[in-house]
Amino acid sequence: MHQLAIRLLLSILILVTPNVFSHDGINHSLIGKSKADSQEQCVEPTEIMQKEHFVFLYHQRDKTVIKGVRTKNHSFANCIDCHVSYDEKGKAIPINSEGQFCQTCHVQTAVNIDCFSCHASVPRGRKSVAKITLENEHNFHITKLTNEIINHVGDYSGEK
Amino acid sequence: MKNKPTTSRRDFIVKSLTAISAVYFIPDIITKAESAKPLAQEVTSDTKWAMSIDVDKCAKGCTACVDACVEENGLYGFDRPETDSQWIRKLTIKNIKDDKIKVVPMLCQHCENPPCCDVCPTGASFRRVDGIVMVNQHTCIGCRYCMMACPFKARSFVHENLTEQVTNAPRGKGCVESCNFCANRIDHGISTTACEEACMKEGHNAISFGDLSDTKSRVNSALKKKDNRRLRSDLSLKQRVTYSGI
Ligand code: HEC
Ligand code: HEC
Ligand code: HEC
Repeated sequence: MHQLAIRLLLSILILVTPNVFSHDGINHSLIGKSKADSQEQCVEPTEIMQKEHFVFLYHQRDKTVIKGVRTKNHSFANCIDCHVSYDEKGKAIPINSEGQFCQTCHVQTAVNIDCFSCHASVPRGRKSVAKITLENEHNFHITKLTNEIINHVGDYSGEK
Repeated sequence: MKNKPTTSRRDFIVKSLTAISAVYFIPDIITKAESAKPLAQEVTSDTKWAMSIDVDKCAKGCTACVDACVEENGLYGFDRPETDSQWIRKLTIKNIKDDKIKVVPMLCQHCENPPCCDVCPTGASFRRVDGIVMVNQHTCIGCRYCMMACPFKARSFVHENLTEQVTNAPRGKGCVESCNFCANRIDHGISTTACEEACMKEGHNAISFGDLSDTKSRVNSALKKKDNRRLRSDLSLKQRVTYSGI
């Protein structure tokens, strides 16, 4: 009976471990610089993103593919665009490679995703929306900021 | 057995030409001002994407449409023509009655009664309400029934791991894929497909794309100018891609 209780306690400990890794509020520090580094906020509050990012992705996936909805907020292409890191030469590092944004947490929590066998892991190719409206002025600003970061990436190289 | 897809395709088209096709019938016209769909709005059946191809204007030796499609969708292959993906390809056909040779761009015909969707066990092959027949790669299990069901051999299967996909066109091993009328472009308000754009840039204007509900669309003026016909109209698939000059 005593042993059983210990076992139960142990398994509960193991089961709740993932929560320990969803480092609430703490900024991730990855190799390279991303647009997200210059941003205050994700597309939803950080706490919600940490726990439910895949729910947004799965919803967006069906809305886009079946119904042709192309909103940017939960778009997968947009996540990658904002979260992908650039090395000192301004080259994008695949977002699912070791130590990168979509990989680190998943290793710790034993999550496996196959998304990047099809989806480009770096922004590649034609930019689909170029029109600037009030709605995406914000994003335009982000793009400008990132370009500045990429162009002056030397300034950051001292930082570890 | 040696695999000779080109001859069988040619045979098939020639056969399809001998089967007398009905003249394309322009559906009821719903007038609608041409305006891009807001990004947040779902597609509706008020929009009817279609394409008309004038074979007389299609130039021999020109591959502008094919190249544009490859570039738009990142369809870089492995130099294995038997298995590399083709969303659009050029066929050479000979009319058995007068031995005339013509070149025809062949792509997904976007049937209103698509056999690929009928046979799909997961519902991954589907027809979007605006008439685009496509593969939902998230639910495609790669069984390839649709490829066998398609009378036009319009679909391809990805046999190998890919690495250089473009952002706007994800694709990968184990899934079937085919022309989707550049859905991503259209949804973003660009009212032309990559192949049509390339053909217009070449000055051939053999491909006319657009919305059948829009009286002023390029596809509607092409349909008005010349009688169009559907390939294999004996199958009653009601394709949205139609041809004139054959
Ligand atoms: C405009 C840029 C931007 C876009 C687009 C964006 N994010 Fe974020 N994301 C951020 C920023 C900035 C943070 C860090 C917020 C903080 O520190 O509180 C963040 C945090 C996160 C976190 C928590 C990370 C951690 O270490 O706690 C996850 C998970 C996440 N984003 C996933 C996504 C997904 C999935 C998408 C696409 C649906 C996406 N993000 C789109 C900027 C963005
Ligand atoms: C077999 C290939 C394949 C795999 C694997 C795959 N996708 Fe996709 N995905 C596609 C295709 C094809 C589209 C349609 C692209 C378009 O029309 O823009 C798409 C579109 C999407 C979209 C809408 C477009 C966007 O950028 O927002 C989302 C979201 C998405 N996928 C999420 C995912 C997620 C999350 C995973 C992993 C769990 C995943 N996909 C795995 C092929 C794939
Ligand atoms: C804050 C850490 C963290 C980051 C950063 C993160 N994830 Fe996750 N992700 C998780 C955790 C934890 C789970 C498992 C959640 C669960 O099962 O309840 C998960 C699950 C998922 C799932 C669902 C997997 C399944 O089996 O259903 C997808 C898809 C996913 N993540 C995609 C992404 C993408 C794409 C990115 C990069 C934009 C990303 N994640 C970044 C922590 C993270």
